[in-house]
Amino acid sequence: MKNDKQDILLHLYGEADSESDLRSLLRNDDLKEEYTALSETKFRLDLRKRNRPDIAVIENIMAAARTGNERPGIHSRVDRGPLSRTSRLRKVLVPAIGIAAVVLFSIGVGLYSIRSTSSQNAPLASSAENDLVPPESLYRFVPSRQGSVTQTSSSDSELTWDDRSTLSNLNGRINTMKPSDLLDWGESALPLEMLPNSNRPGFQTAGSTRK
Amino acid sequence: MLPADEDLVLQYVEHGDEKAFRILIDRHQERVFGYLLGMVRDREVANDLFQDTFLKVISALSKKRGSYSVQGKFLGWVLRIARNGALDHLRARKKWKDVSSSQTEDDVDYWERLPDESPLVDVLLNRSEQSELLRECIEALPEEQREVLLLRHEADMTFREIADLTGCSINTELGRMRYALINLRRQLMAQHSKDLTEVAE
Repeated sequence: MKNDKQDILLHLYGEADSESDLRSLLRNDDLKEEYTALSETKFRLDLRKRNRPDIAVIENIMAAARTGNERPGIHSRVDRGPLSRTSRLRKVLVPAIGIAAVVLFSIGVGLYSIRSTSSQNAPLASSAENDLVPPESLYRFVPSRQGSVTQTSSSDSELTWDDRSTLSNLNGRINTMKPSDLLDWGESALPLEMLPNSNRPGFQTAGSTRK
Repeated sequence: MLPADEDLVLQYVEHGDEKAFRILIDRHQERVFGYLLGMVRDREVANDLFQDTFLKVISALSKKRGSYSVQGKFLGWVLRIARNGALDHLRARKKWKDVSSSQTEDDVDYWERLPDESPLVDVLLNRSEQSELLRECIEALPEEQREVLLLRHEADMTFREIADLTGCSINTELGRMRYALINLRRQLMAQHSKDLTEVAE
């Protein structure tokens, strides 16, 4: 019955399938009565006057259609006046300009002070550059208040605590103890008589006597 | 032969033919506006919603300019935009009641209990009075019944198209429509009975 009631509604609006038969449905008295009642109401609705929007609305839409973009229409929000817009700009711009001016002034003062300081310290800067000596010569680094750093010459490359006389003495001792070319380590032993003793005053043959 | 909606849309989108767009508006303005007016029951609001709807249509078509493809019925698309606007408005006014779509014909409400023994009213009322009375009766319908009635009678949509638009089954929409017609008839009868009583007095 439920589907039958929906079927007569579809018949009423011309949307029913061709398979369903309205005549067979209307053989039922209840369905026939309902169909009649719904038909009367539908008839009233069909006679209703159609409504259209205001002409101004259509004009607004067409104006937007010309540009392809939305345009504010008669019902859109009202823009603020130029006075309020100016005062709003003023509220924003005045503090911003003030802050920008303070920042620029600070930067200028800072740059001026940096330049003046650098011009006064120019000699110091050059001396400081001279202070940069290679690490291998740091042992002769002697800082000076006047910035004049002296370095020993290349001939004085020995350490300051070295003693030239000591070095000479040590060299002499090594030469004294140096064996002759005929007597090297690992060679077979020779009798002392075969060794030249003229230039080796410390050695005596076994058969010789001291004088 | 009149050009189809999709052809007019293409003319506007591809060539900027505003006359084609004007034909579209003229062709469908009564359907869209009638639906909106019946939903919001306020002419000014309906004008606003109608304008917003077509501004959104223009905006959407402008984005597709050069690459628009016909994907469906123009009116259905426009009515979907219009319906969203109307529902947003009704929700904002907190007058929209989200009635479950599972309502059956066994549900009994106020409209079901109205008397049904009065004669037809058109015997006494002239046409304008009938039209005004009918408008008031439609406005008094529950929201979901009013909507399906407006979509069918104002927007000329089929029940299947209405079901696609609302997301409900076609049986639900048919049930709502049936109740809308029955309740409308009962309201008219009740009003007629009241008028007869006043005349007799």
